[in-house]
Amino acid sequence: MNHTLITLNKLAERLLRGPILGLLILLAGWSAAAAQDVIQPANSPVSIRVTHLMGFEGASHNANGTLSIQDDSLQFQKSGKPAVEVKIASVQDVFLGCQSKQVGGLPMTLGKAAVPFGGGRAISLFAHKKYDTLTVEYVDTNGGAHGAIFQMNKGQAEALRNELVARGIHVSDSEDETKQSGAEVTSENK
Amino acid sequence: MKTNKRVSWFVLAAVIIAMTVALPPQWPAETRAAKSGSNIPVAEQWAVQVDKVDKVDASEVNLAPSFQIAIYESLLDEMSKTKRFKQVLRDGDRNAGDVSDLLILKTTVEKYTPGSETRRAVTTVSGATKLTVHSQLCKRDGRVILERTVSGNVRFMGSNLRATHNLARNVAKTIKQSSLPAASPSAPATSGQL
Repeated sequence: MNHTLITLNKLAERLLRGPILGLLILLAGWSAAAAQDVIQPANSPVSIRVTHLMGFEGASHNANGTLSIQDDSLQFQKSGKPAVEVKIASVQDVFLGCQSKQVGGLPMTLGKAAVPFGGGRAISLFAHKKYDTLTVEYVDTNGGAHGAIFQMNKGQAEALRNELVARGIHVSDSEDETKQSGAEVTSENK
Repeated sequence: MKTNKRVSWFVLAAVIIAMTVALPPQWPAETRAAKSGSNIPVAEQWAVQVDKVDKVDASEVNLAPSFQIAIYESLLDEMSKTKRFKQVLRDGDRNAGDVSDLLILKTTVEKYTPGSETRRAVTTVSGATKLTVHSQLCKRDGRVILERTVSGNVRFMGSNLRATHNLARNVAKTIKQSSLPAASPSAPATSGQL
């Protein structure tokens, strides 16, 4: 009996020293990185890593940065650049959406094109990811209407939406958009 | 030998003269005007106010709000790029009341076919995102001075939202190529239609 236990212990030790230990370290690192996507500093209730697609005044298109709510303003900050912000009071409507996009960008597209016998197409079947989109409609000091679209990891828009609702912002149910994207994703999975 | 050299010099000179006559040099100002696509002095140009995008029938056109916003923002970008207008204003801008020659760009989405980026990447021939809009350039009093139906698609590469960019570019191109009546300096509207 004792002999069996000792053998099992030795086996477990060997496994942990080997590739499984490496895998565990990798998993721990990955989960830590994933946790960093939703940063919650002490002075900000919600701060999310997003990609600004278009429309936020003063921010460049397709810029990666942090979207946060600071006191009475919605702030977007690209790393190393000054933050741009709009007053929460000027936000008129917020829409949540969902979309599926190909990952990897241009390098991946070129790589897929280089795969012989149309293998790149097969890769395309799996190389897509679902994102949340947050569309914010607001007015500037002159009363001009603006619309900003942000893209973030799946499930993160909900946290921001809840925070905006808590601050009295009208958030529209964009079920149509979600349904539509859902239909698209369903058809993609077929 | 000497005669040959002389002939070749003569031919070279003739070619240079012919090229100079055939292709006159473009002065920097001309090039700039040609590039901007407009030789209308800024003082005689219109200002344009881009209205928010509407849908023909909300129940028929199942367009996501993000698409409507993307079309609106892309239109503002592309209209500025045409350099055809002295000012491009947003919907609801209070400064529009002070602008004398103001046109209002109204855009209505008539048709929308949602596509799929993955299906495009896999099949190449299917999964296109298609948008068709009806664009109107109106005066303050509501008189339509230009009316066009324009499409924007994304067929091969790019995200679905790229269709909005292509559409806005096509709308701007159509307006740029159309002839607008000369802007007449008149008193700014007191009512300030926004």
